[in-house]
Amino acid sequence: MKSQSFYAKRINPIIFMVAVTVVCILLTAALHLSTLELVQENERFFLWRSVLDAGGITHEGTPASVNDLYKKYVTQEDNHYLIKTDDGVTRFVFATEGPGLWGIISIMVGFEDDLKTLSGVSIVSQNETPGLGARIEEPWFTAQFVGKQGPFRLVEEGTSSMADEIDAITGATRTSESFRNIMNRLKVEDGNSVGRN
Amino acid sequence: MAKSKLKKTFLDPLGKDNPVFVQILGICSTLAVTNKLDNTMVMVLGVMFTTALSSWTLSIMRKWIPSRIRMMVETMVIATYVIIVDIALKAYYPEMWKQLGPYVGLIITNCIVMGRVEAFALQNKPFLSLVDGLASGMGYAYVLLIIAFFRELLGTGTLWGYQILGSWWTSWAIMIMPPGGFFMLAIFIWVVREAFIKEENNG
Repeated sequence: MKSQSFYAKRINPIIFMVAVTVVCILLTAALHLSTLELVQENERFFLWRSVLDAGGITHEGTPASVNDLYKKYVTQEDNHYLIKTDDGVTRFVFATEGPGLWGIISIMVGFEDDLKTLSGVSIVSQNETPGLGARIEEPWFTAQFVGKQGPFRLVEEGTSSMADEIDAITGATRTSESFRNIMNRLKVEDGNSVGRN
Repeated sequence: MAKSKLKKTFLDPLGKDNPVFVQILGICSTLAVTNKLDNTMVMVLGVMFTTALSSWTLSIMRKWIPSRIRMMVETMVIATYVIIVDIALKAYYPEMWKQLGPYVGLIITNCIVMGRVEAFALQNKPFLSLVDGLASGMGYAYVLLIIAFFRELLGTGTLWGYQILGSWWTSWAIMIMPPGGFFMLAIFIWVVREAFIKEENNG
């Protein structure tokens, strides 16, 4: 050990580390590239599914049905998604986001043709407390907004009765308030934004 | 001899040398992911995969790793396996990948993985190291699953997302928040040590 050569002491570790790094990178890069298409498909599926949910279009939740319905009904415009169904219903879906308790909550909000009544809300991504704030992803919570017009008020979970009342989530007051704020802030007042005069 | 060492290597991490309740390793993820059973299951499978294979790989390499850079090599190998888990989840189980968020990547920093490599894999043969890594992962796994079982049941009245307790049950919100993790872990360690480990020490 005492008489380690310069090579064993200085050069060998460097060569060894470089070799290990190259092997590891090749492995992970190969795996990444081979699954890239699948990952992108998953991301697109999540996006399209949230557009359909916000537009109040029922689907089976499978990639096939989401892809079919999306291609059939939805066109992507500059700042929104335009939905035209077979029975002549027109809806507008906007992407928006705002601060939650722990991080950004980004959502899709769908409006009926009048640009006031909501056709649906869906969560794109959120980082709230699992089991508490994360319950905003549960269908009953987002379904509360369907057919209503803002601004909204929060009431205790399970007690909403008026048209502008929304059940808050027990144990997740701050998340509920953040969500209400995001919803109340969103107004489509300018017809130009959806291509009307 | 060889057989008894194999048996010891396999059984110790499950019982008297358990990484969680005896060595108190890997506590960060124990607290973070145990609020639901399905999260926990995916997490522990990831950890088992990583500990077993990184112990095995590094044990094969152990004669060639220059000792001054061994930590760097260990981290590199462990990180590679963790990224494999991450990419696999992202591609084939995206809903779960979204839910677990940063915790999959944080397996890299799980002290159990590096601890077993340093303490065991670098001195032992590949197969034995694989067994040791797998057993340590399993020792970690069952503790987490037990904690998650109680946290999910008491915290939301569900198991695997299915409603178990009726509407009369008032969910203990604290159980699914971080403090609940501390309580459950402490109670678990207390019960286990009181019931099993103490006797062995006395004897």
